[in-house]
Amino acid sequence: MSKTLKLNGDEVEIVAGESVLELARRMGQEIPSLCHDPRLKAVGACRTCLVEVEGVRRLVPSCATKAEEGIAVTTANARIERHQKALFALYMTDNVDASETDDSSDPSELHALAERVKAPTTWPRMQHKRFQRADDRNPYIEYRADRCILCARCTRYCEEVESVSAITLAGRGAETTIATADARSLLDTTCELCGGCVDVCPTGAMTEKKPLALKLLPARKLEKVRTTCNYCGVGCQMDLNVDRTANNGRGVVAKITSPDAGVLPNDGNLCVKGRFAYQFIDHKDRLTKPLVRNQEGLLEETSWDNALQIAAEGLKKVAKRHGPDSLGFVSSSRCTGEENYLVQKLSRAVFGTHNVHQCAAT
Amino acid sequence: MAANDKREQLLGALHKAGGLTPGAAAKVSAELGVPEAQVYGAGSFYHLLGDSETKLRVCTGLSCAMRGGRKLLALAQDADMPVAECSCLAACDRAPALLKDRSVLVDVTQENVKSAGGDWRNVQGAELADDWNGRVGSNNSELPMNLGGTPSFSGEAFAKAQSIGADEVIAAIDESGLQGRGGAGFPAAIKWGGVRAQEAKPHYVVLNADEGEPGTFKDRELMLRRPDLVLEGLAIAAFCLGAQDVYLYLRGEFTGPWIALEKAIASFSENKLFEGVSFHLHSGHGAYICGEETALLEALEGKRGMPRLKPPFPHENGLWGKPTLIQNVETIACVPAIVLQGGAWFKAMGATEPGTKLYSISGDVKEPGTYELPLGSTLDDVAAAAGGYVGELLAFSPGGASSGFLPASERKRALDFAALSKIGSMLGSAGVVVMNTESDIRELVREQLIFFENESCGQCAPCRIGTRYLREALDRDLQGKPSEQSLGEVAEVAWEMNEGSICGLGQAAALPLTSALQHFPGAFGGEKRK
Amino acid sequence: MAGLVTTFGAGAMTNSIDEIRDAEFLFVIGSNTSEAHPIIAMEMKRAVHRGATLVVADPRAIWMSTLADIYLALHPGTDVALLNAMAHVIINEGLTDQAFIEKNTEHFESVREAVAEYTPEKGEEITGVPAEQIRKVARAYATTKKAGIYYTLGITEHSHGTDNVYALSNLVLMTGHLGYASAGLNPLRGQNNVQGANDAGASPVFYPGYQRVDDPAAQAKYQESWGVTLSDRPGYNLNELMKKAGTEIKGFFIMGEDVVLSEPNVSRLEAGLNNVDFVVMQDIFLNETARFADVIFPAACFAEKDGVFTNSERRVQLVRKGVEPPGQARADWEILVSLANACGADWKYESPAEIYDEMAKDAPQFAGISHDRIASRALGLQWPCQDAESDGTRFLHEGGVLRGKGQFQAVHYRPSLELPTEEFPLIMSTGRTLYHYNAATQTRRDPGTDAKQPEAFVEMHRFDARQRGVADGEMVRVWTRRGEVECRVIISKQVKKGCIWMPLHFAEARANLLTNDVGDSITGTAEFKVCAAQIARAEAATKSESKHFPGSFYRDPAAGS
Repeated sequence: MSKTLKLNGDEVEIVAGESVLELARRMGQEIPSLCHDPRLKAVGACRTCLVEVEGVRRLVPSCATKAEEGIAVTTANARIERHQKALFALYMTDNVDASETDDSSDPSELHALAERVKAPTTWPRMQHKRFQRADDRNPYIEYRADRCILCARCTRYCEEVESVSAITLAGRGAETTIATADARSLLDTTCELCGGCVDVCPTGAMTEKKPLALKLLPARKLEKVRTTCNYCGVGCQMDLNVDRTANNGRGVVAKITSPDAGVLPNDGNLCVKGRFAYQFIDHKDRLTKPLVRNQEGLLEETSWDNALQIAAEGLKKVAKRHGPDSLGFVSSSRCTGEENYLVQKLSRAVFGTHNVHQCAAT
Repeated sequence: MAANDKREQLLGALHKAGGLTPGAAAKVSAELGVPEAQVYGAGSFYHLLGDSETKLRVCTGLSCAMRGGRKLLALAQDADMPVAECSCLAACDRAPALLKDRSVLVDVTQENVKSAGGDWRNVQGAELADDWNGRVGSNNSELPMNLGGTPSFSGEAFAKAQSIGADEVIAAIDESGLQGRGGAGFPAAIKWGGVRAQEAKPHYVVLNADEGEPGTFKDRELMLRRPDLVLEGLAIAAFCLGAQDVYLYLRGEFTGPWIALEKAIASFSENKLFEGVSFHLHSGHGAYICGEETALLEALEGKRGMPRLKPPFPHENGLWGKPTLIQNVETIACVPAIVLQGGAWFKAMGATEPGTKLYSISGDVKEPGTYELPLGSTLDDVAAAAGGYVGELLAFSPGGASSGFLPASERKRALDFAALSKIGSMLGSAGVVVMNTESDIRELVREQLIFFENESCGQCAPCRIGTRYLREALDRDLQGKPSEQSLGEVAEVAWEMNEGSICGLGQAAALPLTSALQHFPGAFGGEKRK
Repeated sequence: MAGLVTTFGAGAMTNSIDEIRDAEFLFVIGSNTSEAHPIIAMEMKRAVHRGATLVVADPRAIWMSTLADIYLALHPGTDVALLNAMAHVIINEGLTDQAFIEKNTEHFESVREAVAEYTPEKGEEITGVPAEQIRKVARAYATTKKAGIYYTLGITEHSHGTDNVYALSNLVLMTGHLGYASAGLNPLRGQNNVQGANDAGASPVFYPGYQRVDDPAAQAKYQESWGVTLSDRPGYNLNELMKKAGTEIKGFFIMGEDVVLSEPNVSRLEAGLNNVDFVVMQDIFLNETARFADVIFPAACFAEKDGVFTNSERRVQLVRKGVEPPGQARADWEILVSLANACGADWKYESPAEIYDEMAKDAPQFAGISHDRIASRALGLQWPCQDAESDGTRFLHEGGVLRGKGQFQAVHYRPSLELPTEEFPLIMSTGRTLYHYNAATQTRRDPGTDAKQPEAFVEMHRFDARQRGVADGEMVRVWTRRGEVECRVIISKQVKKGCIWMPLHFAEARANLLTNDVGDSITGTAEFKVCAAQIARAEAATKSESKHFPGSFYRDPAAGS
C-alpha cells in the first residue's frame, strides 16, 4: 500500500523520503522558495515556502517538512497569502529596486517571486545600507551585499557540495554578511573558484564579474546553448549564454552557466575551468587564417585553397616517396567524435595506413 | 553525527587567542582542523569574540537605560575610549552597568567615566567581589529555593532520588506542575520523560544559564547563592536520564556565577557525590539568542548561535544530534526540593499556578532585587517585596523585552503564564521592570527595539529585517513624521514577524512597540519629549 | 584501455558517475580526483557525507586523502605489490565470491598462485604501507557490496601500467563487484573526448567500435563501406610514432595536440621532428609544435562547432555551436573534409550528424545512437546502445561479463625502470592541477586560473629541501638524464621524503623535458609517473613575492615562508 497525505484537500501519494515542498511541486502547486536546493540540507531559512499543516499552530517550512502519511497540508489560503505578501514586502525594503536587477547576472528569483505574490513595493526602504566589503581582486566572482538575502545557499554549497568552506555567514543580525576568513580575497583562501556560489545564488548577489564589466545584454536576453564542457573527461553539461548581438554578429559567450541540479553527469555543478576558463574563445592569440612556411622558413598567412593544396601535396609526396606507413596521424581527444572518425578514415582510407592514434590513448 | 571534541573547543580557543584578530581564525583552524572560514564565521557571530577592539561595553538594557546608560556611553565616546553599547548584562538591580573586558561593573556613575582620564582601564564601578550578591528576600527554609539560605553539599535530594528511582522522581515533578522557568513555561516532566524515552544514546543534560533578557537577573543570583541546588538538580536529571555528561552554558559575563559553580562542584566532589557525572562549564561570548535552547546547542557545538528548526526538538535531536534535556537554572534548582518534599507540596506553594517563582524586579522601585514569591503574585505584591514603588507607576514590563509593556491598570493581574498570555503579554523569565511617570515610553520602546535589532541572529528575514524596520519606523515617529509615513505598516510587519520567524525572538520582537501602541497610543506622533 | 579490454571486454568506466553518491566504499588509486576530475570528486564527497568509506592510495597526500578514512601512502610505482597483497588477504581469508568466479571468470588459479607470495608483510616491505592497513582495506573492500574502484593516470602512466590495470581487475573479479550499481572498475578519463576518440577508431589497432584492424571480418566490412583496400597490419601507437619521428615516420598530420609539450623526453622528439619532411597541423592557437609545421589550419573551438563528446562513463553528448569561429577559422571536421578531398577523396559530408550516422552504421555498440536521439533525451545516451529502441547502458556487465568470461591475469611486481641513484636520488612524478589543463593554452589565457597558479613549480619535502639549502618559493634547477628545467620550489606537505612532483602545464618549465619515454609494453603509454631526478638551488634564486602562489593547500606550514 502506498502512503498518502492530504494536499489542499486531495488525497495524494507520497514518494518515500520527499519533503512537502517536493511533493507539492510534483503535484503542480506553485510554492515560492529561495533557500532550497536539492543538493543541500533543508534549512527553512528564507521563510518563503511556509505552508499550513493541520493541527500545527505555526506555519511550517515545506522544504524542511517531511511528507508524512496522514498529515493534511494547505499550500494556499488567506493566511499564507498574507504571509507571502508581507515577507516579500520586507525583502523588498532591504534589497535593490527591481529595475536594477536587469543586468547580466541571472535574473533575480527574489524580485520575480515578489511580483508573483503581488507584494507591496511601497513600504519605506531601509535607511541603513548593507555592508559591502572591499573589492576582491579575484577576477571571477563578485559579491553585492545590497542584493543578498542571506539564504546561505552559497555558503552551504561551499561546505556541503564542494567541501571547501571558503565562505561563511559572518556577523549577526541585520549586519550579517557573506565573508571569507579575515575578509580576504577569494584568491587567498581555500576557494577553488568553482563558482557554485554564483550558480546557486537566487538574487544575483553572487555574480560573475566579466559579463558585468563587458556591459553585454541583460541575462534574460542571452541565448542559452546547451553543450558539453571541453576540459576533462567528466563531460559536464553546460549552457553557453550567448549575446548574439556582440562582436559584429559573431556572438560572444557572455558567461557559462550550469543546468539545473538533476542534469547528469554533473548535477548542476561545474569546476573553475568549466565555468570560468572560457575567455580563450575570444583571445587575441586565436589563429584566424591558414599559415604556411615560406622560403625563409617563416610562417605566413595564405588562402584556404592554397593551404589545402600545399598540405595535400606535402602529405602525398611523403607517402609516395616513403610509403603510406611513413605517415603518422595524430588525432585529438580534444576534438569531437566525428572529427576523430574523419582523421582515422583519412589515415586508413585515403592514405592506407593504420598509423593513427590520439594523444591520450591510455 | 558523532560528538566532535575539537569543534566544541572552537569558541573557547578563539577566546584564548584574543578574539577574532587577523590571523586568529587561521591559528584556531590549524589547531582544531575546522575550516578557517567556519572559525571566522562562528567567531564573528559573538560580539565578545568578533569585536576584540572594544574594551568597554555600556549596558543599554531597559533598566540601565532608565538610569543613564546612554549618557555613560556618550561620555566614554567623547573621551575616545574603545567603547560600544551592549545588551542587558543581567545587573539591572545595580544599574547602570558596564562591561570592562569581561568584568561587569555596576552602579557606574558619570563621575566614574569622567575621572578615568580617557583611559578605559581606569573606569571603575562599585567594588564587587566574585561573590557579588544582589538583594533577596530573607532566609526562609520553607521556600524551595530560599536564596537567603546557605548552600548544602550533603546530596540529600540526590540520595533520595537514587533510592526512589527515576520513575518516581519524574512522577513527583509531574505532580509538582513545574513549568520551565526560562520563559516558555513548558512542563518539565514532559521534557524529562521525552528524553528518557529515546533509544538513541548517549543522553545529555544541558543547563541554560545564558540569562540575558533585559530586566532579568534571577539565574545570576541563584547560581551565586545556591549553586548547590543547581548542581544537585542537574545530577538528579543525569541520574534519571542515564546521562553522564552535563553541560553548563553560562553567559560570558557571568564570572561570579562561574566561580561559584566551580567551587560547588569541588565541594560535592569532596563529599564523593555525583560520581560518574561530568560537569562541563561552557562560556558564552556575547549573544542573547543563545538563550534560545537550540541556538545554545549550536553554540555548544562551536557554531554560530542560530536557532534550529523545530521539530525535531532537542529531546530527540539535541546536542550532537543526541537526545538532550535542556533546562533553565531556576527550573533545575526547584528539583531538589520537589524530590525531598514531594510534588504536591511544591504545587501548593503557588498562588495561581504551581510553585514559587523568582521575580527579578528593577527600575522604579525602592529595593530592586530577586524575590521568591508564590507563582501568580501581582505587580503590587512584587513591588511590595522590593520596598514599594518610586514615584507614580506609569507602566511595567512583566517578563523581559519579549513581554512588551503593560499599563499601570494591570498592577493587580496575576503574573503567571496563563493570565499574562491572555492579554498578549507573557511571564517570560519574570524580569519585572517598573517605570514611573517620569519615563518617556517611546524612548523605552526604542531601547527594546534596539535590543532585538542587535540580538537577532540574522538567519530569517522576518526577524532580521523586521526588527530593524520597526526601529527605523519608530525613529521616523520620533522625528515627527506623520504617522502613516512612520508607523503605517507596523501592524503588518509585526504580524509577519510573529507568523514567519523561526524562533521565539523574532516572534515576540515586535511586542514592545505594538503593546505600547495599544496601551499608550497618545505617546506616539508629535515631537520628541525632552 | 587495452588492459580492461583484455580482462572485461570493454575499455571504459564500468559504472556511471551519478552512482558514486550511493557507493558504500570508494577505493581511489592513482587519481588526484579533486584536481583532475573535480565534479567526480564532488560525487565522492557526497558519498562520504552520506557515510561511505573512502580509501585513497597515492604516493602524494592529495586533497582527497584529507577526506579519506584510510590513506595508503605507497611508494611510487609499487601499485602491483599493494594490489596483489590485497588479493592475497582476500583469498587467504576466504572473502572471494566463489559463485561469481565460477560462473563469470577464467584463470583464477593463476592469480591465486601468483599472489601467494604477496603477504601483507611483503606488501609493506615493497610499498611502505603498513601490513595491517593492507589487511583492513582488503577486508573492507571485499565485504562491502557497493564497492567501486576509481583510477586514472597514476595507474596507467607507468612502464607496468597494464599490469596495474590487471591487478585491479583481479580484485574486482575475485570479489564479484561488477555488473551492478555503485561498484565496478572505473578509469576516469583525463580529456573531454578520450573515450570518444578511442570509440571513433583513432587507434592503430581498432576501427571504430573496437573492431580490430587485423580481424578479416572487420577489414572486409570497412573495405566494403569505404570502397577502398585496407591494410591488415596494425599501425604504430603514439609513443612509437614519436620515437620514430624523423626515422621511419617522415610526415605528420597533427590535430589539436601540442606533442612537443605533452610527450615525454621532448629533446629527443624535437631532434626527430627536425628530420621529418612534412608536418600539417590544425589548432586554435599557435603552440610549441608549430615550430615544426609546414602548414597550419586555424580551427574552431568547442563553442564554435557541432558534434559529440563521449565522457568517461560512455555517455555520448552533444557539443553545440554557440558562436562563430574567429576570422577564417573553420571546424576541424570541415577542414578534414576539404583536406581529404584535396588529397583526392570524394567526401560529401554536410554535417557532423551525418558523419556520426556513418560511424554508427558499422559499429554495433553505437548503432542506436544518433544526434537526433541524443537531442531528444536530457541525459544523452550511454553505449553500448545497439538499436534505436535501446536506452543505452548505465553500468556494464550486468548479468555477465561482456567478454563472456572475465579474464584473471596473473601479474608480478616489477620495479619502475628508472630508480633513484646517487646521481639522481629523487623520484619525480608529474601530473595536473585544478587550475590548468594539459598544455594550459586555454587556462593560462584566463585571468583567474592564471592568478591562482601563474607559474611552474616543483613540490618537494622539507627534508630534501633542507639538505639542498633550498627555501620555499625559491627558483631551483630540476634535471634528469634527459634534460633540465628551472622553476619555483614549494616545500609541500603532499610529497614524501625523496619524492618530487611537477605539474605538466607550463611551457617555460616543461616537465616533459625530464620524463622518461619508456612505454608500457602493451599500450605504449610512457612512464610519466616515475623517473629519477635531482634538484639544486638555481643561480639567481629569487623568492616569489606572490602571497597566494600556487595554492594554500600544498604548502607545508612547517616550512615557513
